[in-house]
Amino acid sequence: MLALRALRAYTLRMDTSPALIGPGRGPLAVVRFLGLVFLGAIIGAIAALFAVGFVTAVLELNELLLISPRSRMMFDHAGALMAITVAVPALGGLVVGLLHLAIPERRPHAPADVIAAVQTRRGRLPARAGGLSALSALISLGSGASVGQYGPLVHLGATLGSLGARLLRLGRSDDNIAIACGVAAAIATAFNAPLAGIVFAHEVVLRHYALRAFAPVAAAALVGYVIATNVLERGALFHVADTAVPMPWEFAVFLVIGGLGALVAGAYMRAILGVTRLAGTLPLAPPLRPALAGALLGLTALWVPDILGMGQETLRFATIAGAFGSGELLLVLGLKIAATALCLGMGFSGGVFSPALVIGTLFGALCGSLVGQLSGAPQETFVFYAVCGMVAVTAPVIGAPLTTLLIVFELTGSYALTTAALASVTLASPIAAQLFGRSLFDIQLETRGLDLSAGRGRAVLRSTPVIEHLTRECVTLLPETPVSEAVTVLGQARHGEAYLVDAGGRYRGCVTLADLEAAREARGGPQAVAEVTAAQRPLLRPDTSLWDAMARLQDVTGEALPVVDAAAQDAFLGVVFEASIARAYLRHSDEMRREEHGTG
Amino acid sequence: MARVERYRRPAGVPGSTLTWLARLWLALLWPVLFAAPAEAANDEVLTVLSWGGAYERAQRAALFEPYTASTGRRVEVAQYDGGLAGLRRAVEAGEVPWDVIDMTRSEAMAACEEGLLRPLSPALLAPAPDGTPAEQDFLPGSFGRCAITHTIFATVVAYRRDAFPGKRPTTIADLFDQQQFPGPRALQRTPAVNLEWALLSYRVPREELYGLLSTRRGLNLALERLGELDEIHWWEAGDTPPRLLAEGRVVMASGYNGRFFDAMVNRGVPIEILWDGQVQEHETWAIPRGSPYPEAARDFIRFATTTERLAELSRRIPYGPARRSAAVQVTTHPDSGVDMRLHIPTHPLNAERALAKDEAWYARTLGRINDYFGDWLATREGE
Repeated sequence: MLALRALRAYTLRMDTSPALIGPGRGPLAVVRFLGLVFLGAIIGAIAALFAVGFVTAVLELNELLLISPRSRMMFDHAGALMAITVAVPALGGLVVGLLHLAIPERRPHAPADVIAAVQTRRGRLPARAGGLSALSALISLGSGASVGQYGPLVHLGATLGSLGARLLRLGRSDDNIAIACGVAAAIATAFNAPLAGIVFAHEVVLRHYALRAFAPVAAAALVGYVIATNVLERGALFHVADTAVPMPWEFAVFLVIGGLGALVAGAYMRAILGVTRLAGTLPLAPPLRPALAGALLGLTALWVPDILGMGQETLRFATIAGAFGSGELLLVLGLKIAATALCLGMGFSGGVFSPALVIGTLFGALCGSLVGQLSGAPQETFVFYAVCGMVAVTAPVIGAPLTTLLIVFELTGSYALTTAALASVTLASPIAAQLFGRSLFDIQLETRGLDLSAGRGRAVLRSTPVIEHLTRECVTLLPETPVSEAVTVLGQARHGEAYLVDAGGRYRGCVTLADLEAAREARGGPQAVAEVTAAQRPLLRPDTSLWDAMARLQDVTGEALPVVDAAAQDAFLGVVFEASIARAYLRHSDEMRREEHGTG
Repeated sequence: MARVERYRRPAGVPGSTLTWLARLWLALLWPVLFAAPAEAANDEVLTVLSWGGAYERAQRAALFEPYTASTGRRVEVAQYDGGLAGLRRAVEAGEVPWDVIDMTRSEAMAACEEGLLRPLSPALLAPAPDGTPAEQDFLPGSFGRCAITHTIFATVVAYRRDAFPGKRPTTIADLFDQQQFPGPRALQRTPAVNLEWALLSYRVPREELYGLLSTRRGLNLALERLGELDEIHWWEAGDTPPRLLAEGRVVMASGYNGRFFDAMVNRGVPIEILWDGQVQEHETWAIPRGSPYPEAARDFIRFATTTERLAELSRRIPYGPARRSAAVQVTTHPDSGVDMRLHIPTHPLNAERALAKDEAWYARTLGRINDYFGDWLATREGE
């Protein structure tokens, strides 16, 4: 019952705390840093090769399974094609649903998981779940589900980076950098845009800027880009007539498109989240849900084939004036949002970016053709409207205005187009952030209990359970212990307070030395410690976060907070000293400061 | 092995290791034992089926005559205008008169699937003079199951130099720009090439062209663009477009680059080729099933696809050699002294924005695309 060594142990821990060891400088640190850059390049190469393989495999599957327009055109049996259009997404959904049973969370891992791992400084993305998620995304995309390919690529790159860091037994901080490297390489490869890759890794995943992370991430993106330009042959996302420059008044329209695009983005995100919630209440086994979604998608695609798959052709046509009528644009826009929400909500695996590209471009094209009808001007700047709509919808969804701008810039090389996109994104991102949240990923994480709205500091503290600092090196007393004996014990242990724990191990309260002394002095006062007025002390649960513990400390003057497990009949687990909480808080802050401001 | 099989195959006897070894032994010995009869076989005449005209003249000078000079085997040439009907009839009748056929790759692919051609291995090809293996020397896609590409020809747009004072068309979109480049056009009466160019004029990337043409929306966009042209002369025979241009009846016309070259260089017609958007197609050698002398045919193909012979052919008619090593050896036209390198479709300057025809796509869709195009043409002409 007595814990006399408490103080000594406590002092020892103070000495070994790593918080105050500063970052190294000198030749060894430089070599270590260069090693990290080299690791970034290697991860970049591996992630890029995987990305190339993934993209190629999706295209091959689309040809094989009669999803791509080219293969559908080449298949000359109208009846069989109709049956296949419904059967392929449905069966693909079934396979995807069964695959997800093998993932502990019963859902595919996605960029939100990457963000969570980095923002809580946890790192360590699980390789098996990551591989299964990539496989199920491949099947989803291959069988024509209306989902994106960039999300799975980002997660795959991140998983490979994290795996590399673990194989080399690197620390959490380097694990996070390795994750960012994989992410940057995936984006750089998929879009053929290295700057966008670097900025995406910073803007969405790392969420801070540090030279220490920048160099490896840049190396990864560069390697990814070199591999992409040598292996993948792809058409640029947009083409712009050299002569067309928007009129000054059109920039005002681009701003408005940005504002309205934020609402479209909000509708898109709400639709996905809404279907996800509804799917949970469906009386249907989880593996059958994506199959149902696939069948519905296939049936709708018989009527409007534009919604099938990633929609590259639809995206292209949306940048051409006159390819769609205004009514058609509205129809395809609405159906694409519905189809994507259905697929993602019902459990297909895939990203949100590619569908957002299509939805945004259709929305921009709609604005462009309306403006054209109203002003009667020739549609030379039509592609500007399409691109403005595209960035206005995609930037809020992934929470990355700079990345989307850079993608436009790197793909078109057009300054005029990038400026127009800037006008659009200026309003889109803040409006959507105010109304809906920083990005779909942040909203998803919030529903899972990780709130990133106040930044990484709070997220890290919130995801660190206080139980890490639990100790039993405190004075515990049976409630029936006589007051005088309690005073002696506390005095010998040099502690100011004791915790009352009954024979069953249940927590009964907390008494301070001062209270005990007062009770001993008082004539006819309580004989057992249980009768002494217990000090008011907030309790910690085993899952209480460091952040919440810190908040509770504000109203307490005392030594420590008891940790009690309500699930096990108030079992007393130990205490966490106030000083440990403060020290842990300082250590986390210091680590983050070093990560964000250190150079090597 | 091929020789052994032809003369000695014991019908229906499964090949045990022993007979297999015997065959191998015989195959090794064959050239030694039967060298004399092989010489005697040179009385056999090799029959080549080709396209006639200027193309045949160039082939005679660059391939057939040198082949006879080097082997003593005479070459006889038969003419055709493409198509598989004749070959199909001949194979069915069991009387195939030809040993080698000069075919477009798309027809060779279709004929091969129908079983009208013998399989052809690229292993028979000679390496480049510097020792580069044929597999690396030939352009990608040169080796089919039954056919080997020897040259690459292009369908291009040519325009009259005097039609647009102070301006010249630079992109394929200009074919459809009647504001800047007014005047009648001549186009081939087929959907192929026209649809591609019409959609390219919307500035879509070449890589996505056939995916976009596979949708109703893409087809309609392309036909819409074609429909914007006021006056189209539809041609069918290859010599029509140079003639229409020469007579001044049209200002721009599509056609085969060899024919335009002929008009430009040999007949002095004031025209220029617009290489942007040129549609490249492969021309191949193939051996029909049931050819009288398949071994001689293989021998001829090996000879006719050497770097030297391909370069010689391209000096006489501006079709691009399928071998990289031959492309760099092409020099001047033997009669006119024109630098032929500038006129072949695969020259880097000309090929920069070339389009490879998706022959697999056409092989499967031609019937439906033709119907669709025919309907559109009928409505257009009905108006």
